[in-house]
Amino acid sequence: MRTDEELIELYRKGSRDAFEELFARYHRKVIHFAYRMTGDQARAEEAAQETFLRIARAAFTWEPKARFTTWMYTVARRTTLNFLRDDKDDRDKVPILPGEETDDGSPAIQLPGPAALNPEEMAWGAEIQERFVAALQKLPEGYRSAFVLNRGDGLSYEEVAAVLGITVQAVKSRIFRAREMLLESLSELLQ
Amino acid sequence: MECRELREIISLSLDGEASPEEAGLILNHIEGCAGCRAFERKMRAIGTGVAKTEGAVPPDFREKLFALMEAEDLLPRRRSLFAFSIRWAAVPLAAAAALVLFLVSSPEKSKDAVSTQERLPAVARTGPAAETMQPSSPPLSGSPGSPLADDPRRETASAARAGAELTPEERDIIAHLDILEDPSALDAPGDIDEMDIFEPPHRRQG
Repeated sequence: MRTDEELIELYRKGSRDAFEELFARYHRKVIHFAYRMTGDQARAEEAAQETFLRIARAAFTWEPKARFTTWMYTVARRTTLNFLRDDKDDRDKVPILPGEETDDGSPAIQLPGPAALNPEEMAWGAEIQERFVAALQKLPEGYRSAFVLNRGDGLSYEEVAAVLGITVQAVKSRIFRAREMLLESLSELLQ
Repeated sequence: MECRELREIISLSLDGEASPEEAGLILNHIEGCAGCRAFERKMRAIGTGVAKTEGAVPPDFREKLFALMEAEDLLPRRRSLFAFSIRWAAVPLAAAAALVLFLVSSPEKSKDAVSTQERLPAVARTGPAAETMQPSSPPLSGSPGSPLADDPRRETASAARAGAELTPEERDIIAHLDILEDPSALDAPGDIDEMDIFEPPHRRQG
């Protein structure tokens, strides 16, 4: 099986199949990352599409000093940042499910029972996912991207540091802070 | 170690980034600390929840993206199966066509050779013997006054072969003798036009 770097090189030489192979490997990851970062399905699709277009345009000048995935996520992050900047006024808004507002205006969802739930055991439903998406959108972008790249996309601290252009120590700190903030946002969901 | 100090190390351990010593430290602590044990479990659940948070992949995502890329010349277009087949069949097809043309033209060449022979004037076909048998027929080349007619070599050859059967090669040579002669000699004043050779004797003038 060809490596990502070999496929990019073949694509540079005109191989359509090479790009299709790269697309097949990573398009789902890019869409999931964009969704976690933007919290919106339509924007996630646009961001993912733009990510691949930018990769294709830059492929002919890209110097493989790092892994392809590091470059890919770097492009994906910058692309989603552009979309987030376009929605700057809406960034602090929390998606509210219709007819499910509480008295103080905070969103609420119907939980299966009075007892607190364990996300690892509960049935993963659309409402639960919406809560996680909303909680992620509350995070500052730097915390969110670090946590999503590590927990969502499986990148190591070192890879996350390369994508974000920060030190490993800074990655550790951002991920820990992200966890604390998410714990606070999702405390009612968690046991 | 304080629980607060350990929570950051718990976060590292959840991501596989804690050292063996740190991992052992956490294990020992949470065995006796319900608060940190609950914290570790909630932290693990948050990581699982985020990993489960996925966007939907539209069924036409690939087609839309590739259409955009083709429009920007970022992706070579796929050739149709028909065009692909034609391209690979072109060489053998061309070779077959060339072979057919060759075979068709080969019989034509032999026919041409025969027809050429037939188109030769009677004089060329039959050779000098025929000339002598037909006193009214003019010499093969030139008029009686022309240098060609007085060529002693020709007269000698004609006399020597007067009674012999000519081969096809000899006839061919004789038929084309005029080509080997000096063209300017054929244009001498008073010469009979070459085409007069083919005219019946009673029509000749002078």
